[in-house]
Amino acid sequence: MDSALIPNGVRRCSINKFMIALAIAGAVLLWGVYAMFLCWFKGLNQTNMNDYYGFALWIWADLAIIALGGGAFFTGFLRYIMGKDELKNIINYAVLIGFICYSSALLILAIDIGQPLRGWFIFWHANVHSMLTEVAFCLTCYFMVLTIEYIPLILENKQIDKVPFFHHLSHNMHSVMAVFAATGAFLSFFHQGSLGGVAGVLFGRPFAFREGLFIWPWTFFLFTWSAAAYGPCFTLMVTKITEMVTKKKLVKDNVVELLAKISGWMMATYIIAKIIDTYYWANVTAPSLGFNIMHFYSNNSFYGLWILFLEIILGGVVPAAILITEKGRKNSLARNTAFVLAVIGVCVNRWVMVLQVMAVPVMSFDTWALYYPSWQEVATTILPVAYGIILIMISYRYLPIFPQEPELNPVD
Amino acid sequence: MKIDRRSFLALGVGVVAGNALSPVPAILTDDIAIWTQNWPWVPVPEIGGSAYADTTCQLCPGGCGISVRKVEERGVKIEGKKDHPVNNGGICALGLSGLQLLYGPTRVKTPLKRAGKRGEGKWIKISWDQAISEVAGKLNDLRSQEKAHTVAGISGSSSGTMTEIFRRFLTAYGSANFFHTPSIQDTYRLVFEFMHGKKADPGFDIENADFILSFGSSLLEGWGPPVRMLKASKKWKDTATKIIQIEPRLSRTALKAERWIPVTPGTEAVLALSLCHVIIKEGLYNKDFLANSTFGFEDYKAKNGEIKKGFKQLVMDDYSPEAASKITGLDPAAIILLAREFAKASAPLAIFGKGQGILPGSLSEAMAIHALNALCGSINRKGGIFALDVLENKELSEVALDGIAEAGLKQHKLVETPHNSSGCLNQAFSAILKGNSVNALLVLEANPLYTLSDSKSVKDAFDRIPFIASFSSFMDETAQYADMILPNHIYLERIEDVPLSMGFPKTVIGLSKPVFKPQYSTKHAGDTILLISKELGGSIADSFPWKNYEACLQHVLSDKMDVLKKKGFWTATDSFPDFKNAFRTASAKFEFQTDSLSSDLVNVKIEGDETYPLVLIPYETIRLSTGYIANPPFLTKAVEDTILKGKDSFIEINPKTAQASGFSEADMVLLQTPKGQARVRVHLEEGIMPGIIALPRGLGHTAYDNYIADKGINVNQLIGPVNDPVSGLDTAWGIRAKLSKA
Amino acid sequence: MKQEQGHSKAKKFGMVIDLDLCTGCGSCMVACMAENNVPFKEDETDKLKSITWMRIFKFSNGKTYPETDVCYLPRPCQHCEGHGGHSPCVSVCPATATDYDAHTGIVSQIYTRCFGCRYCMGSCPYKARYFNWFDPVWPDGMEQYLSPDVSPRMRGVVEKCSFCYHRYQIAKDKAHYEGQTEIEEDAYQTACAQACPVKAITFGDLNNHSHAVSKLKNQPNAFRLLERLGTNTKVYYVSGREWVRRAGDNYLKAEWPKKTS
Ligand SMILES: Nc1nc2c(c(=O)[nH]1)N[C@H]1C(S)=C(S)[C@@H](COP(=O)(O)OP(=O)(O)OC[C@H]3O[C@@H](n4cnc5c(=O)[nH]c(N)nc54)[C@H](O)[C@@H]3O)O[C@H]1N2
Ligand SMILES: Nc1nc2c(c(=O)[nH]1)N[C@H]1C(S)=C(S)[C@@H](COP(=O)(O)OP(=O)(O)OC[C@H]3O[C@@H](n4cnc5c(=O)[nH]c(N)nc54)[C@H](O)[C@@H]3O)O[C@H]1N2
Ligand code: SF4
Ligand code: SF4
Ligand code: SF4
Ligand code: SF4
Ligand code: SF4
Ligand SMILES: [Mo]
Repeated sequence: MDSALIPNGVRRCSINKFMIALAIAGAVLLWGVYAMFLCWFKGLNQTNMNDYYGFALWIWADLAIIALGGGAFFTGFLRYIMGKDELKNIINYAVLIGFICYSSALLILAIDIGQPLRGWFIFWHANVHSMLTEVAFCLTCYFMVLTIEYIPLILENKQIDKVPFFHHLSHNMHSVMAVFAATGAFLSFFHQGSLGGVAGVLFGRPFAFREGLFIWPWTFFLFTWSAAAYGPCFTLMVTKITEMVTKKKLVKDNVVELLAKISGWMMATYIIAKIIDTYYWANVTAPSLGFNIMHFYSNNSFYGLWILFLEIILGGVVPAAILITEKGRKNSLARNTAFVLAVIGVCVNRWVMVLQVMAVPVMSFDTWALYYPSWQEVATTILPVAYGIILIMISYRYLPIFPQEPELNPVD
Repeated sequence: MKIDRRSFLALGVGVVAGNALSPVPAILTDDIAIWTQNWPWVPVPEIGGSAYADTTCQLCPGGCGISVRKVEERGVKIEGKKDHPVNNGGICALGLSGLQLLYGPTRVKTPLKRAGKRGEGKWIKISWDQAISEVAGKLNDLRSQEKAHTVAGISGSSSGTMTEIFRRFLTAYGSANFFHTPSIQDTYRLVFEFMHGKKADPGFDIENADFILSFGSSLLEGWGPPVRMLKASKKWKDTATKIIQIEPRLSRTALKAERWIPVTPGTEAVLALSLCHVIIKEGLYNKDFLANSTFGFEDYKAKNGEIKKGFKQLVMDDYSPEAASKITGLDPAAIILLAREFAKASAPLAIFGKGQGILPGSLSEAMAIHALNALCGSINRKGGIFALDVLENKELSEVALDGIAEAGLKQHKLVETPHNSSGCLNQAFSAILKGNSVNALLVLEANPLYTLSDSKSVKDAFDRIPFIASFSSFMDETAQYADMILPNHIYLERIEDVPLSMGFPKTVIGLSKPVFKPQYSTKHAGDTILLISKELGGSIADSFPWKNYEACLQHVLSDKMDVLKKKGFWTATDSFPDFKNAFRTASAKFEFQTDSLSSDLVNVKIEGDETYPLVLIPYETIRLSTGYIANPPFLTKAVEDTILKGKDSFIEINPKTAQASGFSEADMVLLQTPKGQARVRVHLEEGIMPGIIALPRGLGHTAYDNYIADKGINVNQLIGPVNDPVSGLDTAWGIRAKLSKA
Repeated sequence: MKQEQGHSKAKKFGMVIDLDLCTGCGSCMVACMAENNVPFKEDETDKLKSITWMRIFKFSNGKTYPETDVCYLPRPCQHCEGHGGHSPCVSVCPATATDYDAHTGIVSQIYTRCFGCRYCMGSCPYKARYFNWFDPVWPDGMEQYLSPDVSPRMRGVVEKCSFCYHRYQIAKDKAHYEGQTEIEEDAYQTACAQACPVKAITFGDLNNHSHAVSKLKNQPNAFRLLERLGTNTKVYYVSGREWVRRAGDNYLKAEWPKKTS
C-alpha cells in the first residue's frame, strides 16, 4: 500500500503490522502528551518536585539524553573532521538519534520551566555568567544544526526526491554538510561542557562543586568527554536493538567495531580522568569545605557508595576494558553488554550530578531529602522514548537510513 | 526550477531576515510576556493612602497594643504598638495573623438559625430583628414557666464590662448559672482569699526578679501576656536573671532557662514544700516577715482549742529532701542546692500554673508555691508577686430584681461550692449529665465544646440542652453546635475594654477600638444583649438604661475613658500597703493554711490505673492558639512538621520509651487513655522524660475553616476533668495512657 | 573601605540574629508572610512545598535526655555577596531575574522576569528560595489584606526574602521628601526584626559604624552560616553555645575545636 514510499532495494514489514506497532507507541505517546498538558495547564504541582528538588527527573532526563545523543556530534566529528570514512554507514542513524534526543531535550525543558511562555527570556535577558544560558544558546543552535543535518535525509525519500526542487536542495545540503558537522561539533563541545558546568559551578553545593580551568569547572570537560565517549555506545546500542527488531543486519561489523573501539578508548581515558577527579574532590575539594566524603554517601536510605561503584566501575571501567580489547570488541555478546553498561554508566553519572546534588544536605542541621517522581513526570519522560521510537520507525521505513542495508539484505 | 548554491543561500538568508524584520514575532512574544504577568487570577492589590490606626489585640488575654496599617479602607498589616506597657512594639504570630480572621472564611456573616440537625452545618440566614425576638421569646417563655434558673451563660473571659453585662443580664433575668472559661487566675484568687484574706489577682514582677522558679509554667509559650513574657526573656538574659524550669518536657521556657529540672509531673507541690523544708531547716527564710506578719508558721491553737501543727512542723515532718526525692525523682542534693539558691537570691520568685495557665490546677499546689514565696518575703515587693485588687465595676454588679428573678436566683445552682463557682465549668456539664436541667444556654466568646476536658461528655451534655445560642464571630465548634448564632463584631470592628490578663504586675486596661467598619451583618454582643433585655422588658430592661453598649461603657468607665481613648490603655496607680495592713485574714496576717497542705491533698491525682503504663500530658506551643480563637492560616503554616503532618498529630516521646515498644519516628500508633483513643504519629524527642508522652493543645478542631478543621487531635478528648477537692476547679494536668501499633 | 556613590555611601544591609535570645516563637515567620503577601494553602505541612521566606530551623546538640539542648535558627535569605556580587543564585540565573545590588547589598528577585527554571534554588545551600508550585489562592474576601507594596507572585516563579526592599524604598522616599540624603537606622527596618518580641534580630547597614549591626557582627561569638563555601553572607548569627557555633558550618573531626592562631 505504501510501497511507493519505501526505498528501493529493501524489504519492510506489512503496513498492518507497522500500523499496529505505531498505534502502541502512539498510545504511550498520547499518555505522555496528556501528562504534558496537565503540567502546562495545572502547573508543576503535578510533579513530585519540591523546594529541595528544584531539579529532578526531567533535568536528569535532559542531561542523560543529551549525553546519549552525543553520538551524533562525535560520529560527525570523526567522519567529517577526522576523515573516518567508514562511519558514513552509521552517521545517518547517529544524526537521527541525535535529532530525537535534542528535540526531546528541548521539549522537556519547555515542560520543566514554571513559566513556559517566558521561556524566551533566557535568550532575551541572557545572563552571560550562567551556565544555563550557555546551554540554552548552544543547545538551540545545535538543534538547528541537527535539523539541517536531518533534512537531507528526509529529502532522500523516493517520492520527495522526485521533486526537482527537493532533489537539488538535498544535493546542495549534502555538499555543505561538513560545514554543519564542524559547527555542530564545535557547539557540542561547548554545550555538553556547559551542562557539566551547570552542576560544577554550584559553589554552594560541595557535592557538585569542582575547581577547574578559567571559568570552567572540571565537570565541564568531563561532560564533553563523557558524551563523546558514551554517545556512540548509545548509537550502537540502538542500532543493535533496531537490528534485533527488524531481524536484519543493518551495519557491517567493521563499522560497528571501529566506532566501538574509538568509543572504548575515549571511555578509558575519560574514566581515568573521572577517577582522578573523584579522588581529588574526595580528598581535597570536599575536605577543604569541611566535608568527609562519607557525608555524601551515608545517613540516608538510598545513596551509598554503591552508586559510585555502579557509575565508575560497572558503568565505566568494565565497558571501557571490553571495548578497548580486540577480543572484547569482536565478541558480540561482550560488546553489546559493554554498550548497555556504558549507557547505564553515563545515565548514573548524570543522575548523580542532578539528583544526588539536590539530596545531600549542606547546612549541618539540614536533612537529606529523597524524591520519587510522580506519574506525570514519568509519563512526560517516557514521552520522548515513544516519540523516538515512532520517528525511528517512520524514518527507517521510508528513508534510506542504513546505506549498507540493501547489500547486507539483498531482496531476491 | 534549478536551485544553485547561491539561490539556496539567498533563500535561507531571506527566510531568516524576513522573520526577524516582521514585527509579528516580537509583538506576539511581548504580548505573551505581558499576559503571563497579568494572569487575571493573581490579584493586584489596590494602592492608596496609607495610615496606621491603633487598638488593642484581643486574640488572647495578653492585651497587646497593636497598630493596624491601612491602605484606604483595607487593613494590610498588624504590627505591635510602640511604647505600649505590655508589648512595646513586639507582637506574637497570632496577633500578626489577625487580618486573616477579619477577612477570613471562618466568620459568621449574618444571624443564623439552625436548619438541619445539630452540628450538621445547615443554616438559614435570618434578620437581626428575628434573631433577637426569637431569643427573647424563648427566654420569656422559660421565665413565665418559672424556669428562669434553667438558663445558663458562659463567657470566655472572667472580667471586663462585656462579661459583667452578660452576668448582669442573667442575674436580672433570674439565673445564677453564670460561668466563665476557667484558668489559673481562678485558683490564684482562692490562694489570695485563703492566705491574704482578700479578693486579688496575682501580678508577677518577673522583670525585676533575679531568680525565677517556674513550676511548669510555659512562660514563653503563652503564659500571662505572651509578648510581655517573651520580651522579659531578653531582659533576663541581659541581667543574667536565673530561670529554673521544673517540667517533664524541654519546652521553649526550659530551653531558655538557666536550668531545666524534669520532675515527675504532679509532684511539684511536694518539691515546693521540700524546698521550704530546707529553707526553714537552714534558717534561710525572711525572719522578720515570718515573725511579725504570718500566722500558722509555728504550731497554733485552733478555734476548738485543738493544738494544730504549724507550717514549720508540717514541712519538717513530711517533706525532707530524702522523702521528696522518692516522690519527685530528684536527687536530694539537687533539692538542697535549689533551696539555697532560691533563698539566697535577692529577689526570688516562684511561679505556679502549668502550661499557659489554661488549666486552673491544684489549689494545694498553688498554696505550697505561694508559701515558698512567703518564706522568702517575695510578696508585694519588687521582684515578687503582688496581690492586685480585682477590677470590678460596681455599677454593673448591683441589679434591681423582680419577683421571678428573685425566685430564680434562690433556686439550686448547677454547681454549688463554698467559693465562687463560676469557673467550675466542667462540673456544670457533669451536673447536666446527672439530670439537672438547663433549658437554654447562651455562649459569649467561649468554645467549651473544644476547650474543656472530656469533650465527649460536654457534647453529651449539650445534647440535653434544648436551646443554645452563641454570640460568636466565628464558626467555632460551639457555634456550629448551636441553634442560633448572633454574631459579634470581631475585635477590630468593635469598642470594648480589655482588662489585662493575669500576671501583669500592674492593673492595666486596654481599649479596643473599631479600626474597621463591620465587614458583615454582625452586631456588638453588648448591643445584642441590650436589645434582648429591651424585648424582655420590665426590670430586665430597666437594668440596662443605656442607649447602646458604647454608652454603657462610657458610663461605667467614665473616669478612665479619656485616657483610654487617647493612649489606648489605662494604668492604675496600684498601691501596696505594708505587711501590717496588707492582709484581711482573721489574724490580719499572712496565713499558711496547713490544712490544705496535707500530703493527700498535695499529691495531685491522675486518672487511670496500671494497665496504662505511660502518662500523657498536654503541652502548649506558641505557634498554636489553644483557646476560643483557632489558628488562622499563617499561624498554622508556622507549625512544625513534627507536630502536624497532613492530618496527623504527633506525640512527643523519649526515644528510649519508644524503643522499648518498638516504635520509630513517624510510626502511626494508637493512643489510648481511660477517656478515649486516637491515632497519632510518633515523634522521638530527647527533650522529654522517659515514660511521658506529650500532645499539643490547639489541634483537632472540627469547625472553623478548611485551614484548621480536621487537622490533628484535640487533646481534650483524651483527658478527663479531675476536680480539686477544695476549689472544685479542674486540676487534670495529664492522664495515664498506653500506646499500641496502629 | 569606602565606596562613594553620589552623595551617599554604598550600603551593605545585613542582620545579626542572636540565637541565644531567639525563642523560636515564629513571629518573624508570620510577620514576613503578612508583610510580603506570601500565599498559603489548606495544607502547609509539606515543608518542602511551603513558602516561608523566613524559616525557623530547629536542631539539637545531639545529646540524650536530660542533657539535650535545642537551638532555633531563623533563616531569611542570607543575601550572599559571594565574590564581587556573584552570589550562588545570582550567578546562575540565566535570565537575570535575580540580581545583586551593589548599592544595598540586597539580592533582588524579579518575579515578572523569572521563568521558573529553578536553577537558583539548586544553587542555594540555605534553601532560601521557594517556588510557586501552585497558583496563589486567597479565600474569598481575604485578598483584601494584600499589601500594595509587594506584588503577589504568580504560579511558576521563584520567590524569597527581599530584606523587605519595599520598606527601603519607602524610607528613601521619605528621607528624600524631608530633604535628607541618608535614611536613619530605624527608618528602614525589616518586618521580621520589627516584630520579634525578644529583639533577637538586629537589622541595619553593616558598613555604617553608627548602626548596631556593624558592632554586633564583630562579637567574638558571631559567625555566619557555611562561611567556608565562600558565599559571603550578610546575615550573622551569635551564640554563646559552642555546639551552636559549630553547627553553623561543616568541620572535619580534627578541625574542631577551632584552632585560635
Ligand atoms: N516612590 C517611588 N517612586 C519611584 C521609585 C521609587 O523607588 N519610589 N522608583 C522609580 C523607578 S526606578 C521605577 S522603575 C518606577 C517603577 O514604578 P512602577 O512601574 O509604578 O513600579 P511599582 O510601583 O513597583 O509597581 C507598579 C504596580 O505594579 C503591580 N505589579 C507588580 N507586579 C506586577 C505584575 O506582574 N503584573 C502587573 N500587571 N502588575 C504588577 C504592583 O502591585 C504595583 O501596583 O518608579 C519610579 N518611581
Ligand atoms: N525588591 C525589589 N528590588 C528592586 C525593585 C523593587 O521594586 N523591589 N526595583 C528595581 C528597580 S525598578 C530599580 S531601578 C532598582 C533601583 O536600584 P538602585 O539602582 O540600587 O537604585 P537606588 O537605590 O536608587 O540607588 C542608586 C544609587 O545611586 C546614588 N546616586 C544618586 N544620584 C547619583 C549620581 O548623580 N551619581 C551617582 N554616581 N550616584 C548617584 C544614590 O545615592 C544611590 O546610592 O531596584 C530594583 N530592585
Ligand atoms: S500575645 Fe495575645 S494579645 Fe498580644 S498580639 Fe498575641 S494574641 Fe494578641
Ligand atoms: S520572632 Fe524573634 S524570637 Fe521569635 S522566632 Fe523569630 S527571631 Fe526568634
Ligand atoms: S541565601 Fe540563597 S537565595 Fe539568598 S543570596 Fe544566598 S544563595 Fe541566593
Ligand atoms: S527560577 Fe527564576 S530566578 Fe531562578 S534561576 Fe530561573 S529564572 Fe532565575
Ligand atoms: S527581611 Fe523582610 S522579607 Fe526577609 S525574612 Fe524578614 S520580613 Fe521577610
Ligand atoms: Mo526602575
